[in-house]
Amino acid sequence: MVLLVVVTGVVFSLMGQNKKENASLAALDSTKLKPAIVSTIDAANGSAITLNAGQAKTVDIWEDPQCPVCKNFEGANGSYIESLVREKKATVRFHVLSFLGDESVRAANASFCAAEEGQYLDFHQALYAVQSPLENSGFWSNDKLVAIGKKIGISSTKFANCVTKGLKTDMVKANYESMSKFGVKGTPTVFINGKLWERKSPDFNIAEFKAAVEAA
Amino acid sequence: MKDLVQRFQPVTTLFARLVLGGVLLVAGGLKVIKPTESANAVAAYKLLPTNLAHLTGYALPWLELALALLLIAGFMIRPAAVVSGLIMIVFIAAIASVWARGLLIDCGCFGGGGALDASLAAQVHRTYFIEIMRDSGLALTALYLYFFPYGNLSYEKAAAEE
Repeated sequence: MVLLVVVTGVVFSLMGQNKKENASLAALDSTKLKPAIVSTIDAANGSAITLNAGQAKTVDIWEDPQCPVCKNFEGANGSYIESLVREKKATVRFHVLSFLGDESVRAANASFCAAEEGQYLDFHQALYAVQSPLENSGFWSNDKLVAIGKKIGISSTKFANCVTKGLKTDMVKANYESMSKFGVKGTPTVFINGKLWERKSPDFNIAEFKAAVEAA
Repeated sequence: MKDLVQRFQPVTTLFARLVLGGVLLVAGGLKVIKPTESANAVAAYKLLPTNLAHLTGYALPWLELALALLLIAGFMIRPAAVVSGLIMIVFIAAIASVWARGLLIDCGCFGGGGALDASLAAQVHRTYFIEIMRDSGLALTALYLYFFPYGNLSYEKAAAEE
């Protein structure tokens, strides 16, 4: 009897989790692909995905696609960071980390594939929009990552191939291994002009971050 | 003195059932409404392969609830006490292992869970100690119930009383 209760409970929870994850994809239904932005890989800076290389001001963002706090950071400051990039106000380097497990490795690989298509920011936003609250739940399979790309308009076979074959694994590794060199212990970690940004408020808020970037 | 212990044994047993059952009821109840959190919490111990850890996280709250109801109602007390005692030993071993490996996590014993910031190290180590003490106490309570399962307000009665 006890066993029955436990097994029913497990099946119930598992189904609920799967259903929620698949339903989250609906968040991307109205997403339109934005104009491509050429990105470079900055080998001197831990092989980060670099947007607007060569600006006077630099913002380094260290994130793991599965990290829930990174999702909060993106939620508060994502559109401001996008405006920094699109209005060429700063060089923004995304260090895509993968210390939270296999699913982070796959998502990071796919992020580099999207960067090659010039659609890093679109893909980055899409990942956070559908991020599962359960880490390594099996949701971000390579097939699902391709499907997420397709859903927001990254539909080239080159992208699909890059994701499924894990063609950017060396970049993923290089980013991960550069953590110690830059003294990064967790995510999200942000450097503005090379200086560690420490938030004062308990939650991320756009006013605080914007002021810090503009003062630099 | 021996007489006194014997005289109060039915009340002590009831008390033990309510303490162990009550803690399990609260722990299971708080986790069962947030299965995802529970699955993440088990994975944070880094003891099991991810899939298995998630399954454990889903199953554990239900097991705790089932044991709680048995203990509180006074039904199948001895087997329930044995299983409760065993899972307490597993919890103690899991927390000790996390401590020994230098991981900093919230045990997720009553919901929540997951990795914690390095700046909290001293506080977390103290919490590990308290958690191990608490679970040891509960394991001893379970042991007592194994030897004296029959008491007041219980569905099950000792054979002699029937």
